[in-house]
Amino acid sequence: MKTLKKMMATAAVLAVSATAALAADIAVIGGKNDDAFWNKIKKGVDDARLVVEANGGKVNYLRMQSYDNFAADSAEIIRTAISQKPQGLAVPDWVYDSQDPAIKEAIAAGIKVILFNAGTWDKAKELGALNYIGSDEYVAGRAGGEYLVKQGAKNGICINTLPGTANIEARCKGMIDAMTEAGAKAEQLPLPSTSFGDPVAIAEAVKATLTSKPEIDGALAIGAGEADASAIGIAQAGKTGQVKLGCFDFNEATLGRIKSGEQAFAIDQQPYLQSLLAITLLAGHIDFGTDLPTRPVLTGPGIVDGSNVDATIAGVKIGAR
Amino acid sequence: MTSMPLASIFRRPEAGSLVGLLMVVAFFVVTGGVEFLYLSSVGSWLSRAANLGIIAIPVGLLMISGELDLSVGSMITAGSMITALVSGFYGLPIIVGIMAALGFGILVGMLNGYLVVRTHVPSFIVTLGTLFAVAGLLLGLNIVLTGTTTVTLMAPELAKTLFGKYFGQGFQVLIIWWIVITAAFVFFVHYSPYGNWIFAIGGDKVSARNSGIPTERMTILLFVLSAVSAAFVGMSQAILFQAVQATPQMTLIFNTIIAVVVGGVLLTGGFGSVIGIFFGTITFAVVTQGIYYTSFDQTWSNLIIGVLLLGAVLMNNTFRKMALTYAPKKK
Amino acid sequence: MTAPIIELRNINKSFGPIDVLHDINIKVHAGEVLCLLGDNGAGKSTLIKILSGVHKPSSGSILMDDAAVAFSTPREATDRGIATVHQFGGTFPLMSIGRSFFVGVEPTKGWGPFRIFDRKKANEIAVKAVRDFGITRIDDGDRLVGGLSGGERQSLAIARAVHFGARVLILDEPTAALGVKQATHVLRIVNEAKKRGLAVIFITHQVMHAMAVGDHFAVLIRGSVAADFRKGEKSREEITDLMAGGETIADLEKEIENYMASHDGHPPPVTPG
Repeated sequence: MKTLKKMMATAAVLAVSATAALAADIAVIGGKNDDAFWNKIKKGVDDARLVVEANGGKVNYLRMQSYDNFAADSAEIIRTAISQKPQGLAVPDWVYDSQDPAIKEAIAAGIKVILFNAGTWDKAKELGALNYIGSDEYVAGRAGGEYLVKQGAKNGICINTLPGTANIEARCKGMIDAMTEAGAKAEQLPLPSTSFGDPVAIAEAVKATLTSKPEIDGALAIGAGEADASAIGIAQAGKTGQVKLGCFDFNEATLGRIKSGEQAFAIDQQPYLQSLLAITLLAGHIDFGTDLPTRPVLTGPGIVDGSNVDATIAGVKIGAR
Repeated sequence: MTSMPLASIFRRPEAGSLVGLLMVVAFFVVTGGVEFLYLSSVGSWLSRAANLGIIAIPVGLLMISGELDLSVGSMITAGSMITALVSGFYGLPIIVGIMAALGFGILVGMLNGYLVVRTHVPSFIVTLGTLFAVAGLLLGLNIVLTGTTTVTLMAPELAKTLFGKYFGQGFQVLIIWWIVITAAFVFFVHYSPYGNWIFAIGGDKVSARNSGIPTERMTILLFVLSAVSAAFVGMSQAILFQAVQATPQMTLIFNTIIAVVVGGVLLTGGFGSVIGIFFGTITFAVVTQGIYYTSFDQTWSNLIIGVLLLGAVLMNNTFRKMALTYAPKKK
Repeated sequence: MTAPIIELRNINKSFGPIDVLHDINIKVHAGEVLCLLGDNGAGKSTLIKILSGVHKPSSGSILMDDAAVAFSTPREATDRGIATVHQFGGTFPLMSIGRSFFVGVEPTKGWGPFRIFDRKKANEIAVKAVRDFGITRIDDGDRLVGGLSGGERQSLAIARAVHFGARVLILDEPTAALGVKQATHVLRIVNEAKKRGLAVIFITHQVMHAMAVGDHFAVLIRGSVAADFRKGEKSREEITDLMAGGETIADLEKEIENYMASHDGHPPPVTPG
């Protein structure tokens, strides 16, 4: 953390000397650099930077060093960004309680703020931010439930390896609500904490559940890794194809399964769009006074299934998806 | 003593864990129904046990000798990551990937062992260090080399048959490995003369050294065994699941310790048995898998797992006390 | 008289600036028990460590059968036939009698890589060795050492040392933690070892126990041998007085009385340690 601060301080000095340029100087805050999701965000940042730099501005992507002291560090990194005196700030509002005061300080310092990835439009309004660009976990969950029903599923489970985590619970709730409203049944399969991160535990749990509840014909996994294991579990129960499998996010193996028909779909919040839109909208607002009346801007849920899997694979190859 | 009377069976280190196992199986047959004993269900919890058990035995031996190994949490990821990197990302033959994974296991095991033996820093701290160091190294390398945190591996059919396949009604091939490895360890620990050394080191390291046991080499060997076993299981998981994420399996650390302690190994060393650990691992797998066959609300599963495991451990304590206080009646 | 089995000549030991032992001269013959008496901190444990090869003396020499020897590891001392048995037996509480008896020298049967630990043989030999010392309560080699009484554990350790050819037996406070009956047990075994021709060095601060088995006594005070005498030369009170550092118990009692007289009848405060 200390070295980070030192680096930031150096960066701040550089930034101050660079504000001589009149065009938009934008700071973007993101997750750790070993977090695959935030590397897709980075691709959006890099592509948006081309646009901003073409107009003489600059973009600085500040990333969390660790998630261990998340509430405090996620507020601290905003203050680091403020100290660099940018004109615009794109920030995920992960932890309202700790980050909101820092975001208000940014707005008070005259920085234009857009919330992206985490937050809501209501939150953006309350803080005085321009917009919220991202997805809504509940809406995404509903999309999953609706897709399963469309595939003919009557009994769904939401495979949850992180029971009790708010955004994950919202995903499952959306899926269950959507299926129930369509006249189907759905429930959660919360896995005990002894199985988190252990693919064997997840696979065997799914298999056991399908064995003891043969009526289940739809499953939604809360992440791509969970889907890898769940697919094995479904295969072992002898139900590949009979149990429609979907998941949030995706990896190469997910796409392979969608292509071969072993998995029905993946729900994507399309992170590339989140940073790309957030930065270009901010820059347009700062440089040219443009404003987008659509609020919030939802970048997801996007569904990846047999119809668009090839384009998605092309996107994965360059890190946009 | 040619026949083994019932009473002396109860004094063996594995007695408590066997009773504990029977207890939890009975519990799930009653609450979950006979479905729990169907062949496919047995395959399901044995597969779970095999993945854990291959690592739990050497970890248990380390505990018997008075040491701990926390680094298995990242060594399992190391095993799968390295296999996937070498044979998936770089496309080298699978055998090269497997050798690289196991070789890395030997390396980290020796590092753990040397650090513990030379510095006398408690192994809890040393392996906590290597746990994070290895996790960080993997993640860093992975980002630098591939740019992502997930690597895909499409292993050839032979490798799948050997390490990452199901046979029968959902029996992972790893179950066979587990049984063979357990048998080898039973021989090594309880029949070969070397097993005695492990117990002696755990009972009293100074006396053991004075009796001429190469305590340092033995300790290093045990660390190598546990790191290699974790890498082995990781390698098999990479071949089975085809996609590898660079996150360490922190829960594995707890799960191995639970399996070992439920298996009757004394946390402070000097007492335990391989068969006990074997039963302890099955107990753990039965408890975690059994939940899915019951009508309990899944939300309570952690609680039920905790209570059952505590029960199994208490069972062990009772039996160990019986073994200690036993004295033959005067004839 | 034949040469002593073990002899220390002018042994000095210092740890940095601290002198722990000065000019120690002792010798023990076969079939003889030397009682090493001394208060806590007198240097007894340092002396044991020198004898058993843990520490090297700063100067002076160790002789066995009149030939100078030097131990660089405890293992070398053991190989020379010097066995040390510690207060709690130094054995492994959670191992079986048979297994702990043969730690490091396991008997095996079978062939090549399939040589296996011969449990039956180990148990038989261990049980017989202990029973030969008169501990008849031990008859099952599968019992755990931790289930034995303190005296039985000591006896097991002594029997083990003798079985593996010890010539010098160093017993470090073997009776300190034991009750009267158990201590008698151990003393009987010390006598038995003596009868078998071992040289026994018996460290204790219990004068009664020392007098029961000792042939020869050495009192250590602040790192030097303050007195060296043979059985029957001194009374129990004299030995106790010697151990207390030269002051007589009578003197001490007087001092305490004086203190109480000058402090309104309060005893002197006890300073720990």
